[in-house]
Amino acid sequence: MNAIQAKLEAIRNQYMEALVKADGSESLQALRVRYLGKKGELTQLLRSLGGLPPEERPMAGQALNELRQEVEASLERQAVLLAHAEDEAMEASDRVDVTLPPRGRGWGAFHPVVQTMNEIIDIFVGMGFSVAYGPEIEDDFHNFEALNIPPHHPARDMQDTFYLNSGKLLRTHTSPVEVRSMLKWGAPLRIIIPGKVYRRDSDQTHSPMFHQLEGLLIDEDVSLADLKGCLNTFVGAIFGRPLDSRFRASHFPFTEPSLEMDVECFACSGRNPACRICKGTGWLEILGCGMTHPNVLRYGGIDPDRYNGFAWGMGPDRVAMLKYGLTDLRVLFEGHGSFLTGGGY
Amino acid sequence: MQISWNWLNEYCRIPLSPEEAAARLTVTGCEVEDIHRPCEALRDLKVARIERLAAHPERPDLFVADLDTGGGQSRCVTAARNLKSGDWVPYGGPGSVIADGTVLGRRDFDSIVSEGMMLSAEEIGLPGIADEFGILRLPQGFSAGEDLVKALKLDDCILEVSITPNRGDLLSLIGLARECLGVIPGSSLKPADMGGPSIGGNWPLPWDGLCLEDPGCPLYGLSLAPSVRIEPSPMRTRIRLAFSGVRSINNVVDATNLVMLVTGQPLHAFDLDRLPAREITVRGAKEGERFTTLDSREHVLTDADLLITSGGVPVALAGIMGGENSEITADTKSVAFESAYFEPLRVSRTARRLGMGTEASYRFSRGVDPSRVLPTLSFLSNYLLGETGQRVEKEVRVARTRTWEKRRVALTRKKLHRVLLWDNMKEASSFLERLGLKEVGGSEERLEFEIPTARADLSIEEDLIEEVGRVRGYELVPSRIPPLLRGNGKVGDEVEAHRRIRITAMSRGYLEVVTYSFIHPRWTEWLRIPESDPRCHGFPLANPISQDQSVMRTTLLPGLLQALQTNIRSGWKDPIRLFEVGRVFLPAEKEGDEHREILRMAGIAWNGRDRRGLYDNSMKDDLLSVKADVLSLCQSRGLVPEFCAGREPFGHIGQTARIALDGEPSGYLMSLKPGILRELEIPGPLFAFEVDIESMLPDRGFRFGQVVRFPAVYRDISLIASLGTTVASVEQEIRALGGPLLRGAVLFDVYQGKGIPEGTRSLAFSLAYGDPSRTLRDQEVDEVHDALRRNLAEKGFILR
Repeated sequence: MNAIQAKLEAIRNQYMEALVKADGSESLQALRVRYLGKKGELTQLLRSLGGLPPEERPMAGQALNELRQEVEASLERQAVLLAHAEDEAMEASDRVDVTLPPRGRGWGAFHPVVQTMNEIIDIFVGMGFSVAYGPEIEDDFHNFEALNIPPHHPARDMQDTFYLNSGKLLRTHTSPVEVRSMLKWGAPLRIIIPGKVYRRDSDQTHSPMFHQLEGLLIDEDVSLADLKGCLNTFVGAIFGRPLDSRFRASHFPFTEPSLEMDVECFACSGRNPACRICKGTGWLEILGCGMTHPNVLRYGGIDPDRYNGFAWGMGPDRVAMLKYGLTDLRVLFEGHGSFLTGGGY
Repeated sequence: MQISWNWLNEYCRIPLSPEEAAARLTVTGCEVEDIHRPCEALRDLKVARIERLAAHPERPDLFVADLDTGGGQSRCVTAARNLKSGDWVPYGGPGSVIADGTVLGRRDFDSIVSEGMMLSAEEIGLPGIADEFGILRLPQGFSAGEDLVKALKLDDCILEVSITPNRGDLLSLIGLARECLGVIPGSSLKPADMGGPSIGGNWPLPWDGLCLEDPGCPLYGLSLAPSVRIEPSPMRTRIRLAFSGVRSINNVVDATNLVMLVTGQPLHAFDLDRLPAREITVRGAKEGERFTTLDSREHVLTDADLLITSGGVPVALAGIMGGENSEITADTKSVAFESAYFEPLRVSRTARRLGMGTEASYRFSRGVDPSRVLPTLSFLSNYLLGETGQRVEKEVRVARTRTWEKRRVALTRKKLHRVLLWDNMKEASSFLERLGLKEVGGSEERLEFEIPTARADLSIEEDLIEEVGRVRGYELVPSRIPPLLRGNGKVGDEVEAHRRIRITAMSRGYLEVVTYSFIHPRWTEWLRIPESDPRCHGFPLANPISQDQSVMRTTLLPGLLQALQTNIRSGWKDPIRLFEVGRVFLPAEKEGDEHREILRMAGIAWNGRDRRGLYDNSMKDDLLSVKADVLSLCQSRGLVPEFCAGREPFGHIGQTARIALDGEPSGYLMSLKPGILRELEIPGPLFAFEVDIESMLPDRGFRFGQVVRFPAVYRDISLIASLGTTVASVEQEIRALGGPLLRGAVLFDVYQGKGIPEGTRSLAFSLAYGDPSRTLRDQEVDEVHDALRRNLAEKGFILR
């Protein structure tokens, strides 16, 4: 081994020792200057190569270059490692307790009835119904007469209907929109009518304002089978599984035949005689329905010999109460934060 | 209506248990709401005879009775004072159970042991059958030791039936019996004995006539019981009435009630000697005429009301209630019984107006069977003679101005099949015949039926289809999704807009509420809304339930404020934001127009009170944070609202903005007036907005921007403007004067105070310049920016 090789070896050993001790980007920079800088040890050595005998120069030059490359590579590697370590140290010292409360506005809350109405709308829109709206302040013709509710029918009672001084009234059901829609669009027709309705009644299960969602389908050759199909599909969709249903004969002035639909109690399926939801009957009264009365079609300008149809009306408030297990209807209209948020934010 | 199961079975034998029959009746449209057995609890009660009755040796208030209880003798102590030796009484020995579930035992009354007790009507579960105070005395004809429940036929059950308003025919046992025959297979009818009365005038006293002056009464029959003895009804009648929920009065009044329960025809009994004249005239009341009914209430009548008069004096409000002046009393000697047909509308209108829902008016309002009006009088006479021994004259007096034809309605195979997807005409006809309809001809395709007069509800083919459908069973109709879908699966603009708005509001922390559409009338005053504001003129309800809910809302704000008050009063302290989408109701804009129902969205934000929280200060809402909400809500529907300073009667003078959508005034954003907050007891501040969303309903789609590929160059500009100059107007100037290269201007500093002249403020904007096709050179930007500075200076801004 000649002198230059010995010297390189010595520089290398010295460098490696220093590299291990380098503990930050500054000391690495100092090492770079010390070995690779303009006056660095390896730079100076390179310059001194000229003084060597020509036959030794290539070997010495190669050895020197190899060392230079090794130093450069190790400095770079060490820089990356050190930066990484510095980042980690900094991150570790900048810790946030992730269990602290979030800052900013959280999600608000939905109203059970509006939510339920929207779900019901989607179900029927999926069956080809469109959504129709109409006024909440109505007249006698649309709210009663055109629905085949004769004068002095108990449903017209002052006891049940809110009147304005003008003689107009607050609609007692969403059915007047059936008439308005028939007059506007004619047959065939397939609509649902969500909205607020009003009756003079107030206790735990009655509110002077509540919601209804009504449906009407008019076409040629409509059967009770179509009514059953639509409503059974609805019930299965809203309560999350197919439920048994029964249709009882009933009476409404605007349908003939008229039926009430009961569904199997989704809580007990009739197996719990002490069930709070169905009161042990196994059935939940869910809606009234029937085949549209020919007089109503006539009032709507539709020929009852050519077209017939069915209609139903349900209470989304009741559906929401069943779905969410609520017991007091009036709470729905008081806006309690504790109720809507399920106990506070 | 309460129906005694045993009594019903006397008119129709039903081969089912009461529960099974109730289920069938319910499904076919006659809803049985409840079944109960009033005497269910009774155990081991007997009929006993009092052998001896003596005063208690020690206690002057008590009696000691020795009873024959069939198999032996028992001794009872009683306080009742209505007994004597030889009386028959209900008796419960030790170990027996009375109606309230008490198990009787032996009890010592000052050294005399009472073995069980003699029972009152209440103790056997039927307080209504008592005809005197004390122990219930039974009629003769039992044997001592006989089982009481069997002897009195107390092992009955009561069906609580709810009859729909179209089925007046079911308000009677014979009507229900016919219905049971129709809907319960295997049942058989036992027709009531209802022979037609003989019509004539052979009465043993003078009578001047019957006169029908008003078409509201087309048929009127009167029968006569010339000499009656008023006393309690027989036990059997009292029990039947009690089971039917009717109070027992006396033999005559009870007879009219019992007969009505059987036939559905209300009857009225007049004390003949108290009638002002020996004649009856039915006429319309005179406007303002006064009449006192037998419940001692005086009524002021209108000419729509129908009166029974005698000698010109009203004696009954037709079909509703008799008068005090001719009511049956303990001294009544002779009685005239009325059975008539009154027009349903006339009776219901009067009954409703006067608030007099009676058993009679209930039935007349729903229509009684005209063919049963006169036969009911013979049924009454049979009952009175058979059960009470009172004789009624054979002939009845009748006046009539109308006859009833039996209606005919056809059923076609085509329509039957259309509705039920089933068309067995033969079976359909047999269903209808069991309900009392008569097939009177037709073909395979079209059958014609004669409708009994009791069924006023059956008048068109659809009615017959309903009868067939319900008897056959709706469960047999298949279930299918209707073919021929006509919708396109879209929910429509209004639903879609509402959904986007509510989801946006909820994701910005608002609680969705629904408040009442009617509010307290004083809200306009509380909110200081002046007369000149249309919102001051909400529609009042003519018949509100309470003042709190008596005027239709003209703004959504009161409902939200009230909800907040409710929360605060119940101790809510956290910040809360509420929002509602709903209609407000405003008067027409000009005479003759319709009222307006406008869909609005509104929200309030309240910062809570006395509540500790980690981020309290940084999280407080202010006018501008709520402005961001309004912006988002509008943007969710593709609209950018404009805000400008404005006034609202209830808005903080310095913190109220008018909101415009598409340039149209659409609402407000404001901080509620501090004075109003104090009056409403809401610790302020409170921020609120309300926006008409009609214009947000149509889907406007969305316009995307141009892609920017070349970076902008930024320059700042700082200028001084008078305090009255709005940021929006300054920004507008900058945009107008900035030339085509100005991409955007962002306000980043507002300063007011030291170093700036009084009455002004400094506004600093960061401006972005760019060109869509290349990167701008600094020099170009400087030229444009300098030009902007000069132009602004010319407009009077002081540039810094």
